[in-house]
Amino acid sequence: MSAAADPAPRLAPVRVLDVHQLTVDLGGRRVLEEVSLWVERGEFVCLCGPNGGGKTTLLKAALGLVRARAGSLSVLGAPPDRSRPRVGYLPQRKELLTGFPATAAELIVANLRGSWPFRIHPHERDWAEAMLARVGGAQLLDKPLTGLSGGETQKVYLARALVNDPALLLLDEPTAGVDARGRAGFLDLLAGISSREDLSAVLVTHSVEAVRRLARRVVYLDRRVLAVGPPAEVLATSLREGREFAGRDHAEHVPVLCEEE
Amino acid sequence: MDLLIEPLSQGFMRRALLAGAAIGGASALVGVFIVQRGLSFLSDGLAHAAFGGIALGLLLGATAEHAIWVALPFTVAVALGIGLVRRRSGLSGDVATGVFFAIAMALGILFLGLRSPQGPPVSVEGLLFGSILAISPDLLAPLLGLVAVLVVMLALSWSRLAYATFDAELATLSGVPVGRLESLLLTLTAVLVVAGVKTVGIVLVSSFVIIPAATAHLLGRNLAGIAVLSAAIGVAGSGIGLLASYYLNVASGAAIILVLGAAFFLALLLRRT
Repeated sequence: MSAAADPAPRLAPVRVLDVHQLTVDLGGRRVLEEVSLWVERGEFVCLCGPNGGGKTTLLKAALGLVRARAGSLSVLGAPPDRSRPRVGYLPQRKELLTGFPATAAELIVANLRGSWPFRIHPHERDWAEAMLARVGGAQLLDKPLTGLSGGETQKVYLARALVNDPALLLLDEPTAGVDARGRAGFLDLLAGISSREDLSAVLVTHSVEAVRRLARRVVYLDRRVLAVGPPAEVLATSLREGREFAGRDHAEHVPVLCEEE
Repeated sequence: MDLLIEPLSQGFMRRALLAGAAIGGASALVGVFIVQRGLSFLSDGLAHAAFGGIALGLLLGATAEHAIWVALPFTVAVALGIGLVRRRSGLSGDVATGVFFAIAMALGILFLGLRSPQGPPVSVEGLLFGSILAISPDLLAPLLGLVAVLVVMLALSWSRLAYATFDAELATLSGVPVGRLESLLLTLTAVLVVAGVKTVGIVLVSSFVIIPAATAHLLGRNLAGIAVLSAAIGVAGSGIGLLASYYLNVASGAAIILVLGAAFFLALLLRRT
């Protein structure tokens, strides 16, 4: 009864992503091995690790696109393929370059409808424009996807991911291929989006800048989970244990927990 | 107008124009997805598979005209086989097509050799280069019916097929049955290729699928516009090509493809300026 009287009840800690002892094989190779991790509601978690370490595979498992060999995975309290409508996904940039004749509006409306639009209705167009405006890209609405810069492409795909009002965002290297100035702006954007209490996000990134700005927790994944914790702690542990992290962040001249972009 | 009235007074030309427009338009529509998916070689491979199917029909005692009813299921099976091998093996579509292409051709040669010497004569030239002017009224009606069914199926699945063509993974996440749609596309392509073999022949049929779509891709900005344009080019190209072949007294299949080819290069020029 006291909870009902509370004008702004705090949301109880709920795991929006719960991965338990997950093992995934792809093409005869073990990509993930006994991975356990979770994300709580409202949390922003960065997923770091070397290329080929299984970061993208973990996101795809959370989307139900790759099958688990062992272990379990629940997304928003349901099996991955059942929770898809409430998950916003931004794929890796190299998967976005299709050469398909489409405009930003068509891409966003396709996700809204669940099918490709032959014609876009005015209310759908307004909705797509509102989504683009939210990520600072309203002017991109009628632009063909093939002519967009790296940063513009990522904005359009972020708007696409947000269009169904998701409870969980899965973002696969959203700042890859974006120049330094664009990247700062994009991180501001993600910070703004992630400030909402009911929206959780998993961000795969190689950018230490992104980790520092956004992450409440960092998971370092290299087939297995090698470290979990607040960004500074994961970095310190990694240095102490002398773990080999590929690459240095040239801008900051410090050893980094993530590879450079 | 006189240019149209004289050929239209001839029954064989009316049938040829109707069949050409229907098959040309529908092939061009399917071609939009084939070209966008980078499967252009597939239509060529299926044309050669159709040869195997027609040879099988002839071996089973069908006439050259009715052999296409054997070629239809044969070519559809090859198309689905290509899709299956591609998915199971992880090999590219071109490799799977290349393997099936060769096997179907070899089977075709084998089947033709196994026919009894007393069987009806077969015009290999007709098979290779088409015989659109020889379409009988008996064949025209089922051919048009078949094309109508295909176009309706394509229209009904257009939005999901387009989404799956744009990005199979994102479409899957939106609940689009990507695998089944691929099988549908392969089936539609196989059926149209067999119908096209009758009109423009094995050698040229893939250009019926590819050239209008490629031309429309050069000019259009979005998929819907490209689809409409491609179908229009397919219909117009086959009509103009047929009339040209009538007046110039040249091979009709070749004339159709050359008109489509001219449209492609015109589009290339228009795009550059």
